Amino acid sequence: MIVPARQFGTLIGLLALCAILWILTPHFMTVSNLLNVAEQTSINAIVAVGMTFVILSGGIDLSVGSIVALSGVVLGTSLQAGHSLAVAMPLSLAVGLLCGIANGALVSWGGLPPFIVTLGTMSIARGAALLFTEGRPVSGFDPSFRVLATGRLGFVPAPVIETTVVYAVAHFVLARTTFGRYVYAIGGNEEATRLSGVSVRFHKTMIYGVSGLMSALAAVILTARLNSAQPIAGMMYELDAIAATVIGGTSLMGGDGTLAGTLVGALIMGVLRNGLNLLGVSSFLQQIVIGAVIVVAVLIDTVLKRKNRT
Amino acid sequence: MADGPPILEMRGIRKAFPGVVALDGVDLTLEAGAVHMLLGENGAGKSTLMKILSGAYTKDAGDIRINGQAAEIRSPRDALALGIRVIYQELNLVPQLSVAENIFLGEAPVRWGGVVDWPALYERTSRLLTDLGLPLDPRALVSRLGIAQRQMVEIAKALSGSTFAKASVDKAASAGQSASVLVMDEPTSSLTSREVTQLFALIQRLAARGVAIVYITHRLDEVFRIGHRITVMRDGRVVATRPIQDVTIPELVRMMANRDLADHFPKVRADRGDELLRVENVGGGPLSGITFSLHAGEVLGIAGLLGAGRTELARIVAGADRCKEGRLFVRGREVRFRDPDDAIAHGIGLLPEDRKAQGLVPGLTVARNIALPHGRRLARFGILSRHCETALASPIVADLRVKATPTQTVRLLSGGNQQKVVLGKWLAGDVRIFICDEPTRGVDVGSKVEIYNLMNRLTARGAGIIMISSELPELLGMSDRILVMHRGRLHAEIAAADATEERVLSAALGLAHSTSSGQARSTGSGQAHSTGSGQAHSTSSGQAHSTSSGQAS
Repeated sequence: MIVPARQFGTLIGLLALCAILWILTPHFMTVSNLLNVAEQTSINAIVAVGMTFVILSGGIDLSVGSIVALSGVVLGTSLQAGHSLAVAMPLSLAVGLLCGIANGALVSWGGLPPFIVTLGTMSIARGAALLFTEGRPVSGFDPSFRVLATGRLGFVPAPVIETTVVYAVAHFVLARTTFGRYVYAIGGNEEATRLSGVSVRFHKTMIYGVSGLMSALAAVILTARLNSAQPIAGMMYELDAIAATVIGGTSLMGGDGTLAGTLVGALIMGVLRNGLNLLGVSSFLQQIVIGAVIVVAVLIDTVLKRKNRT
Repeated sequence: MADGPPILEMRGIRKAFPGVVALDGVDLTLEAGAVHMLLGENGAGKSTLMKILSGAYTKDAGDIRINGQAAEIRSPRDALALGIRVIYQELNLVPQLSVAENIFLGEAPVRWGGVVDWPALYERTSRLLTDLGLPLDPRALVSRLGIAQRQMVEIAKALSGSTFAKASVDKAASAGQSASVLVMDEPTSSLTSREVTQLFALIQRLAARGVAIVYITHRLDEVFRIGHRITVMRDGRVVATRPIQDVTIPELVRMMANRDLADHFPKVRADRGDELLRVENVGGGPLSGITFSLHAGEVLGIAGLLGAGRTELARIVAGADRCKEGRLFVRGREVRFRDPDDAIAHGIGLLPEDRKAQGLVPGLTVARNIALPHGRRLARFGILSRHCETALASPIVADLRVKATPTQTVRLLSGGNQQKVVLGKWLAGDVRIFICDEPTRGVDVGSKVEIYNLMNRLTARGAGIIMISSELPELLGMSDRILVMHRGRLHAEIAAADATEERVLSAALGLAHSTSSGQARSTGSGQAHSTGSGQAHSTSSGQAHSTSSGQAS
């Protein structure tokens, strides 16, 4: 298998990036900063899990950021109304899941291109979040809820633990369940999968459902961290998640990639942002650097794959 | 027909692809003003020869002479410059544009450095169309035209920029390095009989002007309607080239079919058991009125030319496409398949025609491909135990002698091994009805024999196999019965004992008389003279009759 070798490459990229930043700034390689990076990366990393499922199946999901906002404000409003987290969180997760399932159903039964469907949902979910809150942030919850973002187990921040759990579960699903197998099979050859008796439509719908669920999960952590739910949250999250997935070596054609790669991809994005901040690089320049890194990472990947093929 | 050197000569053309010699010393001579018919079974090398002529392929050896002078065709551009035009089966028009725009696509007259000169464009188009005697409106959108009219647009386009539309063929010919050669690849395959008449009138007009025409077809009646000369190809060689008046239909069929039956088929006949599958009056799309049954222990071959509807039939039976007309019965009970899963649940497995596009997930391992249809059975609560797929696949991989380990990625395997993996998917389950669409296409000889042996083992175990194949020796060698399809219908049923290549091929070509038994005559009478829609009923009833009588015997 070529895949592990490929991930190894991304991992080397991450380590090299860390080494460079270590040399450039003494503040980078401290425990507190590294935990900080991990914490900041967690939300993008979780959204990218859903994105990886979708991209592995040969699709794309542009609506993740808007679903983060919508399920976030549902969570916030419910908490504000005095419901316990045990009620509010499942409600919020259900909203995310349903948005994803709606995406998936339109893609599989409606036969529409995923790009168009999720572009539509991106606008609809954002609009719904704004309408629902009349454009205002929702805040004033019971402080105990914030533990999800600010709590620590030993010295490890809660979001890092949550992300680890999400990755462990999602990896298990991809590697050891029939659903995971079908994700790869659908992305690798949808028609062959269908002819093998797999209900491609159902599974595709559930794949987008996973993406919606992951967005909602990210929304819970985001809301806890900010102590408020904002209808304008999650802007551009889709791009960060796609970038993490693609830098992590998942093929946009589908059928090829791993979650471990996506995690490394998300960390590269997080380390880069953090490092550029530490170095005092202006946020304008940061955008240029990050964009260039995405393109170069994928370019290297493409060139290496082309060499492997011939 | 013409004095002096022929307009185009191909001598000793050879072309090999990895593993196959597609053309082996082929000669073809075209004369101005003659319609040259090119015949041969699927895979005889006709298309390869024409692709060399059009510059799509380069030849490995041989020469091409145009008007007696050596010519090199290294690219489609060279062929165009030499006046060679090819009209392929699938038309290459832009439906959203008008007739005139399509004809002069990329060569439209412009003024002021880039603005299309519409009056000039329409004027030139209508001059061209009048000249060719084509009743088309230059302004009409191609999307509004019928297939025959689109074909005319394609012909007009082929003839537009070139030397020969301008009624100056003689001048062009005398100019040396220029031919006027028009190649048509089965142009009538989707035309009605009236449209065919129109097309033939056009072909005759072009020939009368001195264009040399190569006409590839499977329809023998056409050969005699418009052909002047005929070349029959087989296995990459020319069998014969003759003037049309010197050949008869039976002779043609013999030339196309006759081959050394040197290939050895390890056929083992199994006992014929109960009926596994019955197809009644299945139609829809290109198919109509298809009725047959498959019994345990038998290999039912399905012969037919490309486009006869064999793959469509296979896909319906395997649940890949919906059955719109007619009924399916599995072990006597009527079934309705909504998707392939339903068919699999009834023990039907499909080995699709295009293994890369439909049979395999190239990025997954051998074991995971084999286990793909069996996920639900293997998993507990959706969770696959660590080695269950390998455990399922290992005995199959060993049994089929797939030259790979179960954990190898399928992408890297050879065609034969890939095909075994696709077969392996169905061996792992309770499949008893195998539908194999071109099971040995692109498969090396060793793997072919292994696939045949596997078919024997399956029938011995009581499975039934439907084998669609374009390779006649394989059909004759491995089938117990052969159904022959022609234009979406069952045209004949031939028992293995009575089957000869000649009989199967003439039935596939839609000829009635050479299949001598009663059943074939009843089918043939429905079809041979059919022109109107009223025949549909008589044919299908004749069919049902012939099929059932065939089974009784």
